This record gives sequence, C-alpha cells and structure tokens, in this order.
Amino acid sequence: MAPKGEYAAPRLALLVLAVLGFLISAYLTWTHFAGLAPVCTGNGHGCETVQSSRYATIVGTPVALLGLLAYGGLILSAAWWGELGIYLGFLISLVGTLFSAYLTYLEVFVINALCQWCLASAAIMVVALVCAALATRQLTQ
Amino acid sequence: MEKNGTLRSPRTLLALLVAVAIVVAALFVVLSQLGGSTEDAGEFYSGIPQDGTSLGKEDAPVTVYLYEDFQCPFCGRFDREMFPDLVDDYVRDGQVKVVAETMAFLGPDSVTAARAALAAGEQNHYWPYHTLLFENQKGENSGYVTNEFLRDLAEQTPGLDVEKWEDERAGDSFTKELEAVQSRARSSGVDSTPTLIFEGPNGRAKIVSLTDYDQISSAIDKVDGS
Repeated sequence: MAPKGEYAAPRLALLVLAVLGFLISAYLTWTHFAGLAPVCTGNGHGCETVQSSRYATIVGTPVALLGLLAYGGLILSAAWWGELGIYLGFLISLVGTLFSAYLTYLEVFVINALCQWCLASAAIMVVALVCAALATRQLTQ
Repeated sequence: MEKNGTLRSPRTLLALLVAVAIVVAALFVVLSQLGGSTEDAGEFYSGIPQDGTSLGKEDAPVTVYLYEDFQCPFCGRFDREMFPDLVDDYVRDGQVKVVAETMAFLGPDSVTAARAALAAGEQNHYWPYHTLLFENQKGENSGYVTNEFLRDLAEQTPGLDVEKWEDERAGDSFTKELEAVQSRARSSGVDSTPTLIFEGPNGRAKIVSLTDYDQISSAIDKVDGS
C-alpha cells in the first residue's frame, strides 16, 4: 500500500475529474433512457445526433452508461488510493482514453456531428489518465 | 508487492496493464462496429407486401402512419431500435400496415433524401432504402446526403433498378407528394418527428414522445380492440 499522504495531488485531481465525468455520464444516461435530446450549445443538434446514432449503444448498452461505470471505477480507485487503487485508476483511464479517442474519431469523421458533453468527457478522461500515470510513475520508481 | 520479482515487478505489471487496456478498448471498438445495423435490408422485408410507401397487407386491421424526416436523429434511433420489432411483431403476420409519411423539414438534405426514398418507392422498394438511409444517418445538414451516397445505398437495395431510380428522383420530383405529407401533418397536429398515428376499428391513437416499445403495443391494442 502507498503510505498515506503520498501522491495526494494526483489523487485529488483524479477524484475531482472522476466526479465531473460521472455527472456528465449520468446526465447522458438519463437523457438516453428518457428519450430526451441532451442540451447542446451552438449549432443545435450535434449532441442529439451523436446520442441517437448507431454508435451510442454497444450490444444494447448505452455508451453513456459504460462511461458512468468507468467514472464510478475511477472514484473507487481514488478512494482506495494504495497500489491497487493507483493501478486500477491507470487501467480504467487508459481504456477510457483509448475508447474516447475512437468515439471522437467517429464524431468527426463518421457521424459528422459533435457532442460537447462527449468531448468534455473525453478531455476529462485524458487528464485523468495523466494524473493516474503520474501516480503510477511515482509508484514504479 | 515484490519489487525484485520479474513477473510482479511494477514495470512488468504496468506493461501488463497497458496490454489489457489495449485489448479491452479494442473489444469495445469491435462491439461498437457490430451493433445497430439490421440484417440485410432486403432480406428483412422479404415476404412482406410493399406498395409505394406502404408496408404490410392492404387489408390489415390497423394502419400506422409514420411521420419521419431522414435527418431526424430520434427517427434514426426509432428505426434501428424499435421499428424492426414493430415489423416482426405486427406487420409480418398482417395485423398492421405501416404507411410512411415522409417529411423533409430539417433542411435541404432532408428533401434530397426524401426524394431518393420516394423514388425507390416507385419501384416498391421504399422500405429497404428507408432502412439503409437511417442506418447510415450522419450529422444534420452536414452535407453527407450526396448523389454518391444515395446511389451507393440504391446499389445496396436488392431488386432496385438503379438507373430507373436515378431518372425518377431527378429534378423537382415528388414535390407535390412532400407538400401533401406536410399538409396532412398540419391537419393531424404533427409538429415533431417521429410521430406515429394509429388507426383501427376501435379509433385513433397518436404517439409523439416515443421512449418505449410498449407504447407502440399499447396503441395497437387500443385501436385494434380485438
């Protein structure tokens, strides 16, 4: 276990990011099941288009719900901030970043629409990966 | 944690985690690509009578008037997630007939897509083309509804004479049909899509905010009355 107080900055940052990501995913999950269009600024229907696209679900499971689980996992990893928590956070945020990169590619090049909530979540996941990687680096040195 | 052990050293563990992450993310990507598309569109509708924009037996006791715009994201979601069940549960055995009320109010791409689908309807292939349009739906008015895109879908529509279809969709074809749908939509109080209007021996029902397939079953039961 990592001694208490070590890696406090990345832990706090990861926790804050995970809570933000959790809230975004919870909102998108709710709009999915309620059949509502997510609030989207700017040119109107990008969020609705992305959230209603064929890529918004994986084997019937909304991608937003997968995000909710991932951010829930990150919150848990920040709560168990020992070796296990740090490695768990690294694993989840790396999977999340890779998958977010794929989803962003789909938005830009396949769906031709941008969802600001999804982009915000992708950015959060990348920063979460940086935090988890910093903590992991300290652990492996 | 044994820092000196080969297998359990932090660096080995880290490499393992990276490998696991790549595999899991790749799995999600593959599953994401698999989902959402109906089996072969022509196969799906085989055996079901198609006449213009109408799908199902002419004498079906219940008729569903389906107001959709090909660029409407929720119409796309409805078509992928609920419409196949509606066809399998009610249309295939002759209980329900579906009539497409093709709207084109979201922009120029909606009009182009609607004309292409209606041209397919002239050869009684509206429904497979309709399914292909929704399966390949992209951002609203992002310019994806090109001639090449539409022709590609036409070539994927089994039995469609593509050259004849090209002739039929040319110019300002189907303007009157689209105006007539707009007029029917106004008189029926349809101001959003998808809207489903059910008519049967027991009356009429309308679904505007569709969130659950049970709403469709309930509406059919209500107007059918049998």
